[in-house]
Amino acid sequence: WNAERRRRRRRRRRPRRRLVSSFCYCLLFSSELWSVNRAWRGLAKGTLSYVTPLYQFRHTQLKSYSRQLSAFIAAEKQEGLAVEVGGLQNTFKVSFSVLRFRQEDPPKTVWCGWLSCINGNPEYLQSLPKDFTCLPLFCSKGAEDLSSLVKSWLQRTFDCCFGPLDINQTTLQWLAALWTNCHMETNIQNLKMIWTLPVLPPLQVTYTVDSDDVLDLWRSTRESSAEKSREAEDEVCIDFSEVTRFMQGLMSHFYRHFRVDLSAGELNQVSSALGSAKVNGKIKISSSRYLISIFSLLTECALLKMPI
Amino acid sequence: MDNSAKHLLQRLVRRIPVSMLKSTLDKWERLTAEKRKSLDFTQSKWIITQELVALYITENPNQGMWHTFQLVSVKIKKHTDQAVWIRVAWGDGLSSPNHLKATYVVLYLQTPYVFVNALSSKHKPLLLQALTLSTRHQQIKAANLSGQKLTALRDLLMRQYQQVFPPKYPSPLAEKLRVEKVQAEASANRHRMARETFGDGMLPALQSAVFKLETKFKGPTNEAMTQRDEPFICSVKFSSSNLLESLRHCASSGIASTPVTPMLSSIPLKGRNYFVITDNVLTA
Repeated sequence: WNAERRRRRRRRRRPRRRLVSSFCYCLLFSSELWSVNRAWRGLAKGTLSYVTPLYQFRHTQLKSYSRQLSAFIAAEKQEGLAVEVGGLQNTFKVSFSVLRFRQEDPPKTVWCGWLSCINGNPEYLQSLPKDFTCLPLFCSKGAEDLSSLVKSWLQRTFDCCFGPLDINQTTLQWLAALWTNCHMETNIQNLKMIWTLPVLPPLQVTYTVDSDDVLDLWRSTRESSAEKSREAEDEVCIDFSEVTRFMQGLMSHFYRHFRVDLSAGELNQVSSALGSAKVNGKIKISSSRYLISIFSLLTECALLKMPI
Repeated sequence: MDNSAKHLLQRLVRRIPVSMLKSTLDKWERLTAEKRKSLDFTQSKWIITQELVALYITENPNQGMWHTFQLVSVKIKKHTDQAVWIRVAWGDGLSSPNHLKATYVVLYLQTPYVFVNALSSKHKPLLLQALTLSTRHQQIKAANLSGQKLTALRDLLMRQYQQVFPPKYPSPLAEKLRVEKVQAEASANRHRMARETFGDGMLPALQSAVFKLETKFKGPTNEAMTQRDEPFICSVKFSSSNLLESLRHCASSGIASTPVTPMLSSIPLKGRNYFVITDNVLTA
């Protein structure tokens, strides 16, 4: 009966215009699936938003969601599309998938995005009503019009809403400490931080520290904590007071030279060879190390930002 | 003027018939009458195009990246108060001079400063040697001042903006303020020191300043790092649409403690925006 319905719908459909093929995928994952090597690159870059819990999202329905979103985009696109010259008859190819299946490389990805929840606060998750699935972190990379289409389809299908995820100062400081910590295993080249000071005209301060020196500073702030043992350094088990001491060390070295108080301004961006994060939600991750920790931070950021 | 604009101008001049070139330029009204008179229309179109490009750059010097050099000499020549513009097109044994990638040099003859734009590292020693010899100086060195706006660099170096000097004797009114309104005094002090350090009114529009720090770590609470022998290598770049105004506002608002540190006051005082700082000395 479903096949019959589909055939009838296809006959009634207006002639297809030529559209660029796109590949959009949504990921549900937890720590155990994190052994797939190359697929993480799709997560590498984009703009973050938070999304409220999705109503009646079923990961068994991914094929159906693919078809629905594909039809939605095609219908919306036909509204304003100019006449194609000598049009070929390709439609959008939309597919939702779970990370565990290896996908072939798409012919040309014009948009991709993902939804996730890593180490979300268990109390909050348990407090949600039964029909709601919480995937608060949404990332999109690609044309802005496609991003809006995907978001509006998700909004109407799952009764959720989106909002911009401004990465707050705390998260940026965490990322600075985390990436510095990574220098023990992977060369981060340098740690770059960009502040803006509230003067007229606005003053931007780009403070770049050599990787070995910043690691020494980071280690010295951790060692000052009396209970730290050698093994604790290997785990990513960091207390926020250590992050604060680390940032204060950086700012006081700066103050001793310039007598300018960086805490009067706002930290806008943190970057290293492992990636970069900006206060406007733009993120770029160049290495798969500590991905879980980074996504846990961002998930927490998204949960805090949500209005409900 | 970027390369695409230059190409466009070249193509336009090529297509306009020679007989109509002068009248077309008159109609465009982009050049003043005296500049139009200075153009020699009997020359080849190629040369006319180059002259037009040179006229444009002279009128719009705030583009590209200018670097400052300082001529070193015992003798200082006195000339009239005008800038000398020099345009150098480079070629070598195999190719004729490339007029689209010319280097521009501006000399202010009453100062030892030379401003250079679009100079490749290959031609740099040649140009610097030629400048030194032709101006009869002994040496030329980098002045560590760069920016997009030639006028800002020039104004900064020649102190052509409003300077404020501290009053010799404090007025009785200032004495009264100190007694009665401590905070207003502190704020007034900050504003005064900010103006004395950076100047008053419109300041030359520098875009950035870079400090390469190679000093030992300085932090009051971190013993381990303070005892370290190696320097804490980092670099700091300040950027703004008008850096000196931003720094002045930092000082007057208290974000930068006053008196302003020599690191920042060196920018207007020494007319530099690139510094390498080591523990011993503010090196050149």
